[in-house]
Amino acid sequence: MMNDTELARMGNRIRRDIIEMIYRAKDGHPAPSLSAADIVACLYFGVMNVDPARPDWEDRDRFILSKGHACPALYAALGLKGYFDRSLYPTLRHLDSILQGHPDMKKTPGVDMTSGSLGNGLAAATGMAIGAKMLGKSWKTYVLTGDGELGEGINWEAAQTAAKYKLDNLTLIVDNNGMQSGGSVEEVGGVVNIPGKFAAFGFEVFEVNGHDTSEIMAALTAPVSGRPKCIVAHTVKGKGVSFMEHNNAWHKGVPNDEQYTTACTELEALING
Amino acid sequence: MAEEKSTRVAFVQALESLMEKDDRVVMVSADSVAVFRAQALQKKYPNRIVECGIAEGSAVMIAAGLAAAGFKPYVCAYAGFLTMRACEQMRTFVAYPHLDIKFFGANAGMCSGEREGVTHQFFEDIGIMRAIPGFTVLAPSDADDTIRMVHKAYETPGPVYCRIGSGRDPVVGTEAVLRAYGDDALIIGCGAPLAEACKAADELRGQGANITVLNCNVLKPLDEAFLMPYIRRAGKVITAEDHNVCAGLGGAVCEIAGRAVRRIGLMDRYPESGTADELKHKYRIDAGEMIKAVTEK
Repeated sequence: MMNDTELARMGNRIRRDIIEMIYRAKDGHPAPSLSAADIVACLYFGVMNVDPARPDWEDRDRFILSKGHACPALYAALGLKGYFDRSLYPTLRHLDSILQGHPDMKKTPGVDMTSGSLGNGLAAATGMAIGAKMLGKSWKTYVLTGDGELGEGINWEAAQTAAKYKLDNLTLIVDNNGMQSGGSVEEVGGVVNIPGKFAAFGFEVFEVNGHDTSEIMAALTAPVSGRPKCIVAHTVKGKGVSFMEHNNAWHKGVPNDEQYTTACTELEALING
Repeated sequence: MAEEKSTRVAFVQALESLMEKDDRVVMVSADSVAVFRAQALQKKYPNRIVECGIAEGSAVMIAAGLAAAGFKPYVCAYAGFLTMRACEQMRTFVAYPHLDIKFFGANAGMCSGEREGVTHQFFEDIGIMRAIPGFTVLAPSDADDTIRMVHKAYETPGPVYCRIGSGRDPVVGTEAVLRAYGDDALIIGCGAPLAEACKAADELRGQGANITVLNCNVLKPLDEAFLMPYIRRAGKVITAEDHNVCAGLGGAVCEIAGRAVRRIGLMDRYPESGTADELKHKYRIDAGEMIKAVTEK
């Protein structure tokens, strides 16, 4: 497993791959992928017990990307981890590709759950975590949601069930970048006080800077007992690429040649810095 | 009154036998343990019934998570709350990844909802589920047929939806051909209205119309090879179901028949509160309507 500095570098390598993928494929959601990059780096290169040579290994830890439109971040982590060849990146969203527009558990090695219809990941993760308990297995389930998708009621249905079943093998991370497709999460969806809500539903709640790998790792590895964990990660939409940060125009979009060059220069400076 | 036997009790009996032989079989409930008369099963296997509360969407997703972890979940809920409220979860997270999950919808049909009224009368489930690629759709004729369908669901890989009744379900018989008196008319039915179809066939016999009644308990995929010879040689083709005639069994038969089909069922309208007996007569899913359909010019 990597140390915090190596994880931060991996987060930026994921960002570099996100830009590469979307630029080459000419489609995708860059900004919501960039906000999740450090979290995904900490999961796949910090805590998760997985084996790219055996993507269906029964005892692996599981990850669900509930905010499925951020799949370039997941595909980049899987590519860098060695699940498939990174030369497939340009096929993102193209006919016959294993890299579907939203994650597909039957097409992409390493994807543990189909996702992309927002609001459903926590409930699927709850089922997986109940399954692990029923099997007497020690593998863990991680799920990353957006903040906007917490408007969907199924999250709260599942939160109740997860607390009822005392799922201390379940970790929810909220990519709290404050923006959804139509604008501010607070103004559009009215989703406020996320930590307080999950605490009220019986989760052990942590709040971290979602771009500080030492804070993310501390929360991911903090022991909990008898209840599920929720890590509210404060993030910046578009993080790492100056002109995409805090700019919701990049919720979905493809950088032109000049923007691509700028983004790569900035990210490579972070990787090599 | 005709003999009755509960499709819900039959379901639980069959589920228990599956749980005995396969420890991957689990029940996922949306507050449906009592509804499905599964209290004794819960005592026997307390750790194999996942209770999600009144939360159908979440229950389907939890079943998806369990299936991804290697279990064979049987999701139990009211037919309409399941197929309407959790429709998208059943489509996107179960049928699309072809997960091995079985769904049992109780209280299917206007006559199951009875006095509860329209909120609890579910007559769209067959149509909704038929429209989703990858689903096998079952509608057993009665309690004994339910037992067969639970086992059929187990043996069918991938997602299966099966509608069952209120618990006061007429005994119909489990044969594919329930009456074979002749080819003056053919009634293809599913579920409880098959009891009415058999009654109609018996009344008409020797009175100028000898008809055949088929139990169509697999609505998707329809067994065309079995059905088409009957459809071709029958004087008239009639369907009978406790479901909207649109998109249900009637719609399904029309898709394959290539000829006029008289559809008996709920005529694309909302019913009301009443007893099952009152409702089936007022909304004409009864033997009288079937006799009329056979004999009218």
